[in-house]
Amino acid sequence: MTDNGFDRRDFLKVLGWGGAAVALSGCGYTSVEDGREIVTSYSEPAEYVIPSIGVYFNSTCAQCDAACNIMGRVREGRVLKLEGNPESAVNRGKMCGLGQAGVQHHYNPDRIREPLLRNGDKGEAITWDKALELIAAKLDGVTGEQVAFVTGTMSGHVGVLLKNYLAVLGSTNHYAYDAVSPSVARAANKKAYGVEMPRLRLDKAKVIISFGADFLGAWVSPVHFSQQYAQFRKHVLCPVEETAIGGRGVLVQIESKMTLTGANADRWLAIRPGTEGIFALGLINALGVAGLKISSDAAAAAKSYTVERVSADTGISAEQINKLAALLKERAPSLVIAGSAAEGYAHGSQNAAAIALLNQVLGNVGKTVEAPSVVPFPQVAPTVGNRFALQALNDGMAQGKFKVLFNYGVNPVFTAPASMKLSENLAKVPFKVVFAHYMDETALQADLVLPLDSALEDWATVVPEYVAEGAQLNIQQPLMEKLYPGTRGMGDILLGLLKQRRPDEYKYEDFYAYMRNALVQNKSALGGAGADDDTFWTSTLSNGLVKLPGGQGKLSGKASTAGLALPAPAAADSAYPLHLIPAVSASLRDGRHANLPWLQESPDPLTTIVWDSWVEIHPKTAAKLGIVEGDIVEVAGKNGAIKAQAYLFPGIHPDAISMPLGNGHEAMGRYAKNIGVNVFKILDPVYDKETGELAMHETRVKVSKTGQRVVIVKDEGAVGGKQMGKKIAVRVSSDKIDLSGEV
Amino acid sequence: MSVGNLLENWSQFRQAHPVGDKPHQEYKWAMSIDLDACTGCNACSVACYAENNLPVVGKEKYSHGHAHHWIRIERYWDEDGREFPDQGAQFLPMMCQQCEAAPCETVCPVGATNHTADGLNSQVYNRCIGSRYCEANCPYKVRYFNWYDYPTTDNVWPEPMNQQLNPDVTVRSKGVMEKCTFCVQRLTEAKSNARTEGRTVRDGEVQTACQQACPTGAITFGNLVDPAARVGKQWMQQQVELTKDKQAKDDAEEASMLRGYRIFEELRPYPSVMYLERVRDSAV
Repeated sequence: MTDNGFDRRDFLKVLGWGGAAVALSGCGYTSVEDGREIVTSYSEPAEYVIPSIGVYFNSTCAQCDAACNIMGRVREGRVLKLEGNPESAVNRGKMCGLGQAGVQHHYNPDRIREPLLRNGDKGEAITWDKALELIAAKLDGVTGEQVAFVTGTMSGHVGVLLKNYLAVLGSTNHYAYDAVSPSVARAANKKAYGVEMPRLRLDKAKVIISFGADFLGAWVSPVHFSQQYAQFRKHVLCPVEETAIGGRGVLVQIESKMTLTGANADRWLAIRPGTEGIFALGLINALGVAGLKISSDAAAAAKSYTVERVSADTGISAEQINKLAALLKERAPSLVIAGSAAEGYAHGSQNAAAIALLNQVLGNVGKTVEAPSVVPFPQVAPTVGNRFALQALNDGMAQGKFKVLFNYGVNPVFTAPASMKLSENLAKVPFKVVFAHYMDETALQADLVLPLDSALEDWATVVPEYVAEGAQLNIQQPLMEKLYPGTRGMGDILLGLLKQRRPDEYKYEDFYAYMRNALVQNKSALGGAGADDDTFWTSTLSNGLVKLPGGQGKLSGKASTAGLALPAPAAADSAYPLHLIPAVSASLRDGRHANLPWLQESPDPLTTIVWDSWVEIHPKTAAKLGIVEGDIVEVAGKNGAIKAQAYLFPGIHPDAISMPLGNGHEAMGRYAKNIGVNVFKILDPVYDKETGELAMHETRVKVSKTGQRVVIVKDEGAVGGKQMGKKIAVRVSSDKIDLSGEV
Repeated sequence: MSVGNLLENWSQFRQAHPVGDKPHQEYKWAMSIDLDACTGCNACSVACYAENNLPVVGKEKYSHGHAHHWIRIERYWDEDGREFPDQGAQFLPMMCQQCEAAPCETVCPVGATNHTADGLNSQVYNRCIGSRYCEANCPYKVRYFNWYDYPTTDNVWPEPMNQQLNPDVTVRSKGVMEKCTFCVQRLTEAKSNARTEGRTVRDGEVQTACQQACPTGAITFGNLVDPAARVGKQWMQQQVELTKDKQAKDDAEEASMLRGYRIFEELRPYPSVMYLERVRDSAV
């Protein structure tokens, strides 16, 4: 009996939920809908409910575009905790804090619970039928080009339905927008390697030079990179057989503001803002001098970047440059990464191109920069967001091009710089539909707000942009019954809209039926050849992902020196002497997660500040301006001014200050509203010359005291990060230990 | 249990002490944390909030020092006066060290905190009277006091946020002390399952929430009594012994090739957590 009990539990551990199960599960004894208590006897529980035993169901994390595979612990019909799925190539059973806080989106008290139609300043609750009818009426007589969709990154079958709906409407206006995407690096990668997102092998690199890529914090696929980083720190993998052979890898981070990744570097170098490309060419030159064989065009491009000049331009000592060149020459392969700090300038593309050239000179392409697997079904591949999309949308709205606008998964009113006047332009669109979880800044301007299911209630398939090992299709499935009957999944909404137009083509009862049908029909291509439909479907849901049989891709491009021209370091601006570096927080990202209390109370790793915004300023600069910790300072640029508390921070270039993005909401919910300031607002409208992307690091500001002072609420003690002679957090030099024999 | 009984049979409640009056039998839970792998990302801390029903106290109470992070990331800078911290920051996950001779235990007037046979420093919520002596006596500052009744405090667990609470863990009320338990609810479940099968818990069968989340696998947790356990192998390799207050590394010459140490060894609390020194490359 007992033995059977345990087998049964193991069997149930990773069971997938079919459609019927979802309808049944509930909270066991409470109907959330009407608050009535329903007594359910546990003497005959549903098959998968064992009172007091947690059961795990696999799904996909929706907190960022890395799309980690997760499993939710469900007990008595409630999802309690999210863990990583150990079978995932993306996150291998691990999870970041942001991902785990997904349950707080689900249970958030500020979620919208029913469709709201604008009536003056108020939202009036209406039914879904009425809402969809209204959309149909508003679309009547409107041409396709007068309809626009602005979304975040889209992929999988929801992405397919969106494409289909746009096609049915005859609209080409899909604006995929991501306020903090690595879009300049994508374009540079495409040129240099032939793919936008090559597979980076941190675990094979003996040396990593990262130009402001916060791959342990907020960049691309941080949990995946953290795993590789752990391997890199223990033993770098052998390039061919991939068995551990090498010693401990060395990380050098070059950036103007220390990121979490920079805080973990063996050597952190504070570079003058915007001179990353110069430094990369300087390294090429120094490598040539050190005797590395360099192609003639690269050598020619780097010829004038002598150590002395580069040192003067970047502020990094000649000794350090030579040391780095010697290290790179001695330890191959290495890996050079261009992050958001390098790409955030008007010459961001040039910086990224120079960094790609350095990778090529070092012979890393094909060794630590690999081709990703090809996603075999291009229709489900991700449409990734960028910042240019918002400018295009904004221009269209300003010209009055759009009659109907749909907004999903982004909050452009919050993330658009004030100089874009997006809010005013949005008002020119006669009918705005916002699909939202919260009444955020964009939803507040909508004519119709349609409440979405949480990611833990909804069905979807997701294809991650960053392909970790093989290509995979991730399954997002409900982990419990919907909390509110008035919310809907995006797939269901799009299906409903499509049914209005093409009732004969879309005969599926709901999105679940559509998704099941789409996968089951392709089961032989999805590794389910020979299995019957139900078996294939159940195992797919149970696994939470499908490994796609994608072939190995190929790197095609070549980093070219043609057109490579780096501007001289920016001249000092006497009116606005400081560079403003907007920092992407690993937890709040572009601000969409500001209403999650776990994340607000999770200290920023470097400053340990909670529940607020702040201004990081180097002690030297602060002393010059007479600023001490806690002074409320005004940060003023050409496009606005904001006030926040000053924090004296040694990990920043004295010519720069940094402020975190994500806070400063005027709406959204109780945990986000009126916390901190919105740094997006004061960004200068400077764009990368090649891609047209907003150059996030180009804003110049001046800082002045307001005379007010506060006590900063932070986790570090009064002595501010000192060990006071005690052996608390201890460091050892690599020549004093031997990691190779460690357990 | 009366206080009289407690005092009379004191040694029973101080079991598993390194003096050896009660050696560990089946289990001695211990941890090792590799500071070279730890990136300071805070995933462990959020995992702990989710697993152990920790209240989010808000900005004002946080400023009063009322935060309830059972595991927190401490961040230190070099103190050599250089212009930039050019070897990065020093991160340290700090949680209850489950000391074998815990300074908090001896000062509790009611025996609310004491040692279990598994070598855990346990906190009995319904025995705690809130004197906070233990908090004052803890050298690691890892005990957290419930100054408020958080379940009824606004915006801590508003409906339906309370549905996320883990039913395996008590939601604490006002006036009691709390701290890291090494996820004792997971240990209890694993032990119970193992006992049913007539064996002890296998290495890797149970993970603490922080260990499970850690993206770089910096945290190792297990049973020191089990010779197959990775944590024990690490302790042994680093020559850190539970019952000593001076380790091989302390006596050795500079290049001992060891990097395991325990914090505040000199206070003789005999912690159950070993840290591995962070490594920085000498070539750059």
